[in-house]
Amino acid sequence: MEAIANPRITCAYLNSYVGKNVIVVGKVTQLRGEEALIDADGNITAHLNREAHLLVGNGVQVIGKVNPDLSIKVLTSMDLGTGVDYNLANSVVEISHQHRSLFAYE
Amino acid sequence: MTSYGGYQRTGYGTQGGDDGGGFMGASQQGSQGGEKKSYADDTLRPVTIKQLVDCKEPYPGADLAVDGLPTTQVTLVGQVRAVNPQAINITYRIDDGTGLIDVKKWIDAEKPDSATPFALDTYVRVFGRLQSFNGKRHVGGHFIRAIEDFNEVNYHMLEATYVHLCLTKGAAAGGDQQQQQQQQQQQQGGGDGMFVDDGYGGGGADSAAIQARLSPCSRTARTVFNFLANSAGDDQHLNQVVAGTGLSVRDIMGATEELLGHGIIYTTADDETWAILDT
Repeated sequence: MEAIANPRITCAYLNSYVGKNVIVVGKVTQLRGEEALIDADGNITAHLNREAHLLVGNGVQVIGKVNPDLSIKVLTSMDLGTGVDYNLANSVVEISHQHRSLFAYE
Repeated sequence: MTSYGGYQRTGYGTQGGDDGGGFMGASQQGSQGGEKKSYADDTLRPVTIKQLVDCKEPYPGADLAVDGLPTTQVTLVGQVRAVNPQAINITYRIDDGTGLIDVKKWIDAEKPDSATPFALDTYVRVFGRLQSFNGKRHVGGHFIRAIEDFNEVNYHMLEATYVHLCLTKGAAAGGDQQQQQQQQQQQQGGGDGMFVDDGYGGGGADSAAIQARLSPCSRTARTVFNFLANSAGDDQHLNQVVAGTGLSVRDIMGATEELLGHGIIYTTADDETWAILDT
């Protein structure tokens, strides 16, 4: 079927995914109008869309495209509340890159 | 394999190990091939959607296999990307970041709740049966519920990876055991193992019960156990164990001491002859 996959990444992996769609789970640290700073094992700038409803201090999952300047153009975002285990989310990113056969199309 | 296959046979003095190990592997795969459908064997497997998209039928009409194991009941976690309500079922397109798959949930007329579709972008957990129809995969959803704690999504990804690794590389009871099983797999796959003791494949030690009993034992103890399990005759003398395993007398005495201590083997004719204690 469709080979549409959005890899889960953290800040460290941004470089490898320029121009691709990715999933980032992190904590919103700053909101500046249309821009947000998301901490996912490092700070990522996200350019939000109109529908985004983010709260500083909450977890967020954004799906978006990585720009050449390593910011993310958000396609969809989802507020995750406060109970997000970021270490767990970062582990999943690491695991998903170690065991690519389960997660990613080459 | 051929280069030292003969050596192993002389080592045993019997037709044991090598062939035995191979047979076990083959028989295992035979039963997994789905000759007869046994729904009692169905186990619920956590998977990523990519595994379902990638999985193959061993032959047309067979159960779909993930990691070479027939897989029917699966559980997956993903976001609802599309909802297509029909008269008797609701088809959800589920996305977990690794792929997309359709999940068909039949509407139960007696439960009005089941007719209310989940909203788009909701994270849901699906329990269902993997099905293939005209070459198109879908999951027949037994049960779908919304996920309230987002951590469950990440947890599921780790669980799916853990199960995948358990099935492909052996359980994580100990690093030692994992390595051993990995080497056995290479052996059965025709790879050239470095050490003779790897040759005593899962043959005797294949069942989960024995693995559980062996879990506290050292690698040497397992080697000796596997030799005893794979050799013909009830008991083996120290000299036969030395010849068969290639281990030193001192190592074997240590290993048997350990196995005796765990009640896995017992001494027979004298203190240097052992047999496996069946439970």
